[in-house]
Amino acid sequence: MSKPNDLVQGTLDLLILKMLAFEPMNGWAVGQRLKQLSSEVLQVSDGSLYPALHKLEQEGWVTSEWRRSENNRRAKFYSLTRAGRRQLQVESGNWERLAAAISALVRLQEA
Amino acid sequence: MSVDRWLQKVALRLRSVLHRGEVEQELDEELQFHVEQQTVENMRRGLSPDRARAAALQALGGIEFQKEEVRDARGTRALEDVGRDVVVAVRSLRRSPGFTLAVVLTLALGIGANTAMFTLLRGTLLRPLPHRDGERLVYVRQSAVGAGQPNTNFSVPEVADYRAAARTLATIAEYSSSVPFILVGSDGAPARIRAGIVSGNFFGVMGLEPVLGRLITDGDDGAAAPSVAVLSHQYWTEHFGGDSAVVGSAVRLNGIVSTIVGVVQPAPHYPRRTDVFVNTVTSPHHLSASMVTERTHRMTELFARLAPEATVEQARDEVGRIAALLATEHPEAYEQAARYAVSVASLRQAVNERASLTFWLLMGAAAFVLLIACANVANLTLMRGVGREREMIVRATLGAGAVRLRRLLLVENLTLALLGGTLGVLVAYAGLRLLVAFASQLTPRAAEIRVDGVVLAVGLGTSVLAALILSFVPRIGGGRSLAAALAAAGRRTTLGRGGQRFQRTLVVTQLAVSMVLLTGAGLLVRTLSNLQSVDTGVRGEHVLTLDLPLSGPLEAAVMHQPENLTLYTGLRDRVAALPGVEDVSLASLAPLRSSIVSFDVKAEGRTVAPNEPTPNALFKTVDPHYFTAAGVPLVRGRAFAATDVRDGAKVVLLNASLARQLFGDLDPVGRRVAWTGEVLKFSPLSGDWRTVVGVVGDTRDEGLENAPTPSMYAPFAQEFIFGGTLVVRTASDPSALQPTIVRAIRDESPGQLIEGVTTLAQIRDETVAPRRLNALFIAAFATLALVIAMVGIAGVLAFSVSRRTAEIGIRMSLGADAARVKRMVLGEGGALLAGGLVVGLTSALLAAQLLRGLLFGVAPHDPLTLGVVAALLAVVGLLACWLPAARAARVDPAVALRAE
Repeated sequence: MSKPNDLVQGTLDLLILKMLAFEPMNGWAVGQRLKQLSSEVLQVSDGSLYPALHKLEQEGWVTSEWRRSENNRRAKFYSLTRAGRRQLQVESGNWERLAAAISALVRLQEA
Repeated sequence: MSVDRWLQKVALRLRSVLHRGEVEQELDEELQFHVEQQTVENMRRGLSPDRARAAALQALGGIEFQKEEVRDARGTRALEDVGRDVVVAVRSLRRSPGFTLAVVLTLALGIGANTAMFTLLRGTLLRPLPHRDGERLVYVRQSAVGAGQPNTNFSVPEVADYRAAARTLATIAEYSSSVPFILVGSDGAPARIRAGIVSGNFFGVMGLEPVLGRLITDGDDGAAAPSVAVLSHQYWTEHFGGDSAVVGSAVRLNGIVSTIVGVVQPAPHYPRRTDVFVNTVTSPHHLSASMVTERTHRMTELFARLAPEATVEQARDEVGRIAALLATEHPEAYEQAARYAVSVASLRQAVNERASLTFWLLMGAAAFVLLIACANVANLTLMRGVGREREMIVRATLGAGAVRLRRLLLVENLTLALLGGTLGVLVAYAGLRLLVAFASQLTPRAAEIRVDGVVLAVGLGTSVLAALILSFVPRIGGGRSLAAALAAAGRRTTLGRGGQRFQRTLVVTQLAVSMVLLTGAGLLVRTLSNLQSVDTGVRGEHVLTLDLPLSGPLEAAVMHQPENLTLYTGLRDRVAALPGVEDVSLASLAPLRSSIVSFDVKAEGRTVAPNEPTPNALFKTVDPHYFTAAGVPLVRGRAFAATDVRDGAKVVLLNASLARQLFGDLDPVGRRVAWTGEVLKFSPLSGDWRTVVGVVGDTRDEGLENAPTPSMYAPFAQEFIFGGTLVVRTASDPSALQPTIVRAIRDESPGQLIEGVTTLAQIRDETVAPRRLNALFIAAFATLALVIAMVGIAGVLAFSVSRRTAEIGIRMSLGADAARVKRMVLGEGGALLAGGLVVGLTSALLAAQLLRGLLFGVAPHDPLTLGVVAALLAVVGLLACWLPAARAARVDPAVALRAE
């Protein structure tokens, strides 16, 4: 249940890093933003979001601090670290190569 | 992954573990926030508040579940669990203090013995030599086994030949220590020192650096160079208190003014202890014509550095070929029957030649002790495991996986082993001084023994290894299904069949190992007692010896025979007048002291068979009282008399060995003998005929295990005097009289050097002492092993009895009496004992062969030792079985059956 079975393995990390690259945000907002930006195509289950965030934090790719949210509630805001930015580049590159390869395969004309 | 990135991750993980409460609270708050936001969002989509919140929670899978997921994701789970396991382990161990104490002590002794022996091994055998590239250093030795000389040294022409011919040896350094030296410092007090006369390239070849000043270099070679001296590190600290001002100061060495130019780094003293290194010019003898040109004037020892790519074996082959070539080119210098040969050994091996076998054996014995200690602890754990099977199953039922249970056990065992290990390392540390004292009798590297990081790491490693092994001994209910395990666990108090067999194997192993160690100890103790009972040839009780060396330049001093004689007889007569002194004698050397002053001998009218080496005898001068003072029996003829003086007829006494060698069964008294051979011309001795006036008993001067050396005695008053030794027989304890004697000598001759004050009993003991410690160590290990093995067998039987209580109850109610039950239990123990004895006897026969080199007067398969050891083991073993057997016999059938 914890695995993002609706997403390619490891892709969730990439998506979260990408979201946080725009601005620091709290966990809930990350989930909301993902849904909005992907026009609800990517259904990230709430259950897999927090384990992923905490794992990224332990890896040192994101860091967190407590801040006031828009509705003035204390919330844990995550932001990207320098190492995280590098990791984002690495993972984006990987993803693009993978996506290009798969696209090329899918477009192959059947004889 | 880069190092700082890794460190950063570690820091993050540590923070999560250390601030666990805070992290947990933050997680809770974060998830609550999410649920509230999502609830609001869901309400915005038109759900009722209750439904909105429920949906938000459901999306997360529940708060608590989500927390678990996050904790797992943080990857600190294992770390936190271990912390909890340690708490559980400590609690569980505190519940069974008897078990804990037994295990910790057993492991402490096992690990302590191993750490101690490893410390010994590492300091002496394993650590590289302190010399730069010490692995490339070799010691070259010339021997003449046929003439009974294991080390003849080399002459200057020989050194030149080897230098020119040996391609496998890059550089060859010379070292010579046979000249006695007296050092007079700025305070004017003379001290006898051991000096090494070295070539200028010595320190360069040896790869040694100065800690102060400079070392002797090529510029210090030759007759024109000023005399310089370099202190050994040990002598500098012991006699100059490590004072750096000593460098640059002048001292007199045998009367020659020499400048101390430096102190060399600490390094093992080989082949013998050296206090001061001097250049060649400091010893006029080494510049004399005969020393430089005579092939038989052998006074130099050789150290060499292997050429690049060359191996010790190659060097040995090449040097052997050169030696053979030299022997054919100069037949007069290499007597056939003396069997001259040259060997090359790596310095590292040469230095530890005497220690190597002993230390490895001790290490092996210690490893055996650890082995049976582990076997015992495994047994204890096994028995405890049975009682805990229920606990394990309950834990498994409550959701602990097999891995988790295994880890719990591992943590428990680690706690035990580390406690034992720490205690063991402390034991080893406490025994360090004893260890160094022991090692210094066998190797010059003893000073390098210390407990360092590597030793501690090995102690720690041993503990962890022991814990790992122990953790896989008890089976955890993982093999069977949980239901089956639960069903069985209610009444299960016994081991499975496999467990029992394993337990018995452990006990048999313990007994066998004890048998091996006891046999080793037994053989060494017999060796010791054989050595103790060797007749030294002297009556050593109540005899004190004092060396009184001549001072000043020896070569000149020797020429003043009349003055020296007056000095020594004056000292002797002064001591003889002291109350409590029974007899005093003057001699060139103390009895039982080995000597290198030996020459070839010939007997008038006797020829030596061509295949036999020329007889060679030690040269000793003694006064008429020597044989009564030292208690050496006169076998034939007469001892020396006061009339045997310098101008009188030249007379000698032979010891029994020499008399037999020269004259066979003939009576030597009245026949004539003379010193002869090449080497004689380098000494002030004459080759005149001397008349044999008597034969005296042999003395064991080369150690108790070696045969007596042929010796010839001349009257002290008749020959050159190289120095004197007083041999004092006292009425009672000689050490009590020692201060009085020393004071009398100082009174008579204030500047007189007094050295080597020791009793004959002490000299005799020098051979026995290392072996005594040796035997003591092995015996201690063997005793330890025996005790552990006995606890082991008793424990297993006790366990067996307690598990068979019901069975015994049934047997008794069916008519078996107490004696029969006792016999049954004893039979069980007896079977184990018999198994242990059979395996032990076989192993002991094999293992004892390794001891061969350390034994004296006893064969490795000595039936008496083996028999006594087997009997001892059987008796003690049966006693150990008696306790549980007696307990079994006291079982009350009614109680036993009701308990069921």
